[in-house]
Amino acid sequence: MTTTFTRADTVGIVGAGTFGSALGAVLARAGRRVIVWSRDAAVVEAITTGRASPRMPAAELGPSLTATTDARELAAGARFLVLAVGSGTARDRARELGDVLDGSHIVVHAIGGLASPTNERVSEVMLQGLPTQKVGVLAGPALPADLANGEFSSMVVASAFDEVIAEARRLLNLPPALRVYGSKDLVGVELASALAGAYTVALGICDGLGMGPGPRAVLVTRAVAEASRLGVAAGAQERTFAGLAGLGNLLVRSTGDRSADYLLGKRLAEGTSLADHPTTEGARAAQAGVELAASLRVRMPVLQGVAAVLAGTTSARSVGRIVADDVAALE
Amino acid sequence: MASHRPVVEAENRLERFNADRERLLAEVERRVVADKVEDARAGGDASLEYVLNDVAYCEMRRLEGTPGADRWRELSRRLLGMTDHDKREELTSLVRYYGKDVVGNFDPRVYKVITGIGPKLLGFVFNPMTSVREGLNTLRNLDARIHADGEVEVARTCAERGTIIVTPTHSSNMDSPAIGLGLLRAGLPPVTYGAGKNLFSNPFISFFMRNLGAYRVDRRLRFELYKDVLKAYSTVLLEHGYHSLFFPGGTRCRSNVVEKHLKLGLLGTSVTAYKHSVRDGAPQKRLYIVPATINYRLVLEAETLVDDYLAETGKNRYIITDDEFSRVGRMVEFFRKILAHEGSVVVRFGRPLDPFGNDVTDEGESIDRAGRIVDPASFVRGATGEVVDDDQRDAEYTRALGRRLAAAYPTLTVFHSTHLVARALYDLVARQAGTRDVYRLMRAPQGHLEVPVDEAVRALGALRARIAASGKVGAEHPLYAGQTDAEKLDDAVRGLSTYHTRPIVQRSGSLFQVKDVKLLYYYQNRTAHLPPEGAA
Repeated sequence: MTTTFTRADTVGIVGAGTFGSALGAVLARAGRRVIVWSRDAAVVEAITTGRASPRMPAAELGPSLTATTDARELAAGARFLVLAVGSGTARDRARELGDVLDGSHIVVHAIGGLASPTNERVSEVMLQGLPTQKVGVLAGPALPADLANGEFSSMVVASAFDEVIAEARRLLNLPPALRVYGSKDLVGVELASALAGAYTVALGICDGLGMGPGPRAVLVTRAVAEASRLGVAAGAQERTFAGLAGLGNLLVRSTGDRSADYLLGKRLAEGTSLADHPTTEGARAAQAGVELAASLRVRMPVLQGVAAVLAGTTSARSVGRIVADDVAALE
Repeated sequence: MASHRPVVEAENRLERFNADRERLLAEVERRVVADKVEDARAGGDASLEYVLNDVAYCEMRRLEGTPGADRWRELSRRLLGMTDHDKREELTSLVRYYGKDVVGNFDPRVYKVITGIGPKLLGFVFNPMTSVREGLNTLRNLDARIHADGEVEVARTCAERGTIIVTPTHSSNMDSPAIGLGLLRAGLPPVTYGAGKNLFSNPFISFFMRNLGAYRVDRRLRFELYKDVLKAYSTVLLEHGYHSLFFPGGTRCRSNVVEKHLKLGLLGTSVTAYKHSVRDGAPQKRLYIVPATINYRLVLEAETLVDDYLAETGKNRYIITDDEFSRVGRMVEFFRKILAHEGSVVVRFGRPLDPFGNDVTDEGESIDRAGRIVDPASFVRGATGEVVDDDQRDAEYTRALGRRLAAAYPTLTVFHSTHLVARALYDLVARQAGTRDVYRLMRAPQGHLEVPVDEAVRALGALRARIAASGKVGAEHPLYAGQTDAEKLDDAVRGLSTYHTRPIVQRSGSLFQVKDVKLLYYYQNRTAHLPPEGAA
């Protein structure tokens, strides 16, 4: 028997990176029709003929997942899209997609960072490049490897539009592998998710220096507190930062050596030069967050400390005391 | 970029309004009753019993102590014994009753009077002549009193192609006639609009409003059914192609700042109306929202409004029934002294938007923020192209539209000499007193409220330079941009010292003396979106 897939029940994924591929695998495994769009013909070929994504070879890609380089095919085949690219290319991809989408499309991004070079939230950049206003964010403690392995994962989708939340939950909520919750706090979820990467670098430094559970707990607590302050100043709800996109994201990324941000922090603690490391989303978010905090006149000692280490103006070994003194002076 | 294609004179669609009137009312009745009956299936607060009781309760409270309350007491008593059929009949009768109360009228003869000999007639009415020469001068100048400019050509194209909704700032009860004349001068068609029922208390203005397409909005009626009737009426008007006007700020702005926080009100009916047209297979029946600012040299009701603002009673007294507008003598004064100044009211039209807040091309095509043409119908469609009803989505679209309007208003603001000089003086007085807080300034010693004339000239010059350099906060009155700083000062002080009950500013030798801080604050507030010099 042939299954007939409708456009309404199809998920389009923009980008065949680790998260896009893992999410596609979970969805296809559950029988959803998935169209992955990549600009790289070799990646599309690998998915189509080899049934494996080069960036996530372990992800088992079910037969209902197809790949294309044709953006029109993506737009015609799916109304609901997940933008899963790096923060550095979000602006260009949104603009490119904008040529083929219309006002009826729904686009949520899964980017844990702020858009360079303006430090805008990714949803703001999407609104500039896309014709549709129905945008949102998907964030939370769901690492690509866990998703691909079918381990229990949870995420939150946030948007000003109830329709975006409802559609994301209808199409992506596939328990037990993936549970998706809803929020109206778009600003909060985007900032919490972006800053979680930056604070993951801080926790990597902390663990790399061999600091004990006490300082680690203090760091986590301070990170959530100061991220909340920035969020409130930007119009977000404080409690969002203690939720899946904030604290949840931070805890999962800093447990085990599974996140690039965490590994970066650990290597910085070991004294490795930053030149030896590729820049991560968390590293970019640290610098962007500091600039955003300055514009909103919010003091963020932990984030400033991370940014200083990343910029090479402070050593990982001395940053702990500086941050602790700053926090004490602040409160 | 202006369009080069010829634009025909905007059609006055209101001319067919009276023939349409009963059909429009019947449509409103059909829709509201059908929606309420449908909603009532959910029971609870949506049940017809609750809806009718809400009307009866609100009306009893409003009419308490008057014989008019009896009808509603009687309805309240009958409710429990009513069958579903009875309730539906009662609902239909109430919708018809409130619909008739709301609905407007358009008399082409009155329109001809207003647009033809009207200005001259008005000039005679409002200008008890002390000499024949003065009267004749007034007649000559009246037409020039309202200046209209801005993106009028693209607005005319949109009015020709679809239906326009003019959305001006709101600072005076004179706004309705002012924008009406502004539309006329801009070659735009007349519009229908909802006017507070209290405005109909002035018999002269009421006569014109009743016959020029204004419909009545009774803000005392706060129950849902009345709001539903209003929304349905506005929606039906738009669907039938009647150009409309809404004040997105709601009531008159008490402080005279350029509105930032818009209540939106009936603006949401633009999305609903367009959605209905798309569903009816007519997505080409476009709707366009035209932002506009109405800029007065002096405001008729300034004293009452600023008092209300400063007393922080604005929220409670949002229907002011005893202001200058209700005093005929004061209105005569207004017309004689204020409108005698050429271009004393400037109506500036901005670039139209679609109901989803998208910009439009010169030809009226919707474009996204990247400048690509988009199909506005797609904004209300679902995955298979079907039109989807979603009130929350539509409210979000209207909020986006509101944000675009709020962003447009400052750039469309036109500064009269009174605004600029009030701002320059306020800045100087605030610096002397060490505070910008109006309450403190009202208690400041007279010494702090005196400003040397030469300092005022310098401050005014600097302010004009800042405004010109910014390019985004508004612009000077185009007819007076060539005035020197000293001329502008003289012009403003003449206005600020002669119309209101007491002078706001007076010149005494080499000093300007601020006599009324409240009103100085009110007039300078028009520039409040321009931060104080040196502020971030």
